Amino acid sequence: MKFVINVLSSSTAPSTRRALHFSQAVLAAGHEIVRVFFYQEGVLTASNNLVVAQDQQDIAQQWQAFIAEHQLDAVVCIAAALRRGVLDQAEAQRFGREAVNLAEGYQLSGLGQLHDGLQQADRLISFGGE
Amino acid sequence: MTTLHILNASPMQTTQLNSCLRVLSANDSVVLCGEAVQALRAGSAAAEQLQGCDRVFQLYALEEDVLAREIDISHMPVTLLDYPAFVALSIDCARVNSWT
Amino acid sequence: MVKSVLLISRQAPWAGVGAAEALDVALAAGAFDLPLSILFMDDGVLQLLAQQQPQRLEQKDLSANLQALPMFGIEQLYVAQQCLIQRGLADSPLALTADRLDDAQIQQLIRQYDYVVTL
Repeated sequence: MKFVINVLSSSTAPSTRRALHFSQAVLAAGHEIVRVFFYQEGVLTASNNLVVAQDQQDIAQQWQAFIAEHQLDAVVCIAAALRRGVLDQAEAQRFGREAVNLAEGYQLSGLGQLHDGLQQADRLISFGGE
Repeated sequence: MTTLHILNASPMQTTQLNSCLRVLSANDSVVLCGEAVQALRAGSAAAEQLQGCDRVFQLYALEEDVLAREIDISHMPVTLLDYPAFVALSIDCARVNSWT
Repeated sequence: MVKSVLLISRQAPWAGVGAAEALDVALAAGAFDLPLSILFMDDGVLQLLAQQQPQRLEQKDLSANLQALPMFGIEQLYVAQQCLIQRGLADSPLALTADRLDDAQIQQLIRQYDYVVTL
């Protein structure tokens, strides 16, 4: 089975941790994740600028490691990212911003990538809100 | 061709549960996770809503959320899920509607 | 086989960017000629009301994007009748043509799509 995972919440939301554990279980069961798409507040999970207290779980870092380990296609919606201040090198340059804070392993792209993923996949699971 | 509905918000704070119960079809599945597991608290208005739905549906809850809150589910017709079971359920249903 | 999407839009028009970002999902599908229908539900029904003045809140008028939907090939719009009634809007004019559905019809509608995206 092919999945698209849609992450709509930032790293402090329990739903973002649930998305990670669900995604881990998807792969552990032998299924495929076609794409992980980060939209709305989910773009904040892709920031490399988060500082997490030592006694807390760094969910953003765990997501990044998971994506790297399995070479997943992690796409962050560019429009949603820009308005929330998550930029890659190209966008920071384009708009004259100092910070390049899109974490390694993520790519900025459009909503077309979400739809492309849906056309390839069998299931979409979204995690967001809380 | 059933739908899996995933709820994650408190039934007292949002209309998630209300709205879901109105649009779910007979034999759909509902997974409560996050604050939505509050709907399992016996005697609560939300629990009564769940039990009063006029369509038959399968009720599930994410085990970690129920255990973390020490909710007594002995009186509720709910099946607890770990993540592997959650994944399996998402495959058994034709589509997943995540309420956010 | 092209897969179809039902977008359920539940956010009020100017309660943050949620409503606009939901619409963007629809417009993107349209841009790629993919079959997508929209059901406006809960506070999402408020997006359809005629005679809104978002400029007073210095917010972008959603109606421009809503009016653009048919141009992008998104023509099937639905609105939850119960949600209009609950908000005292059963007789209010809507800015767009949308089929009013009762709960049973919405139950049926959901079953017709490969994917449901609720935003």
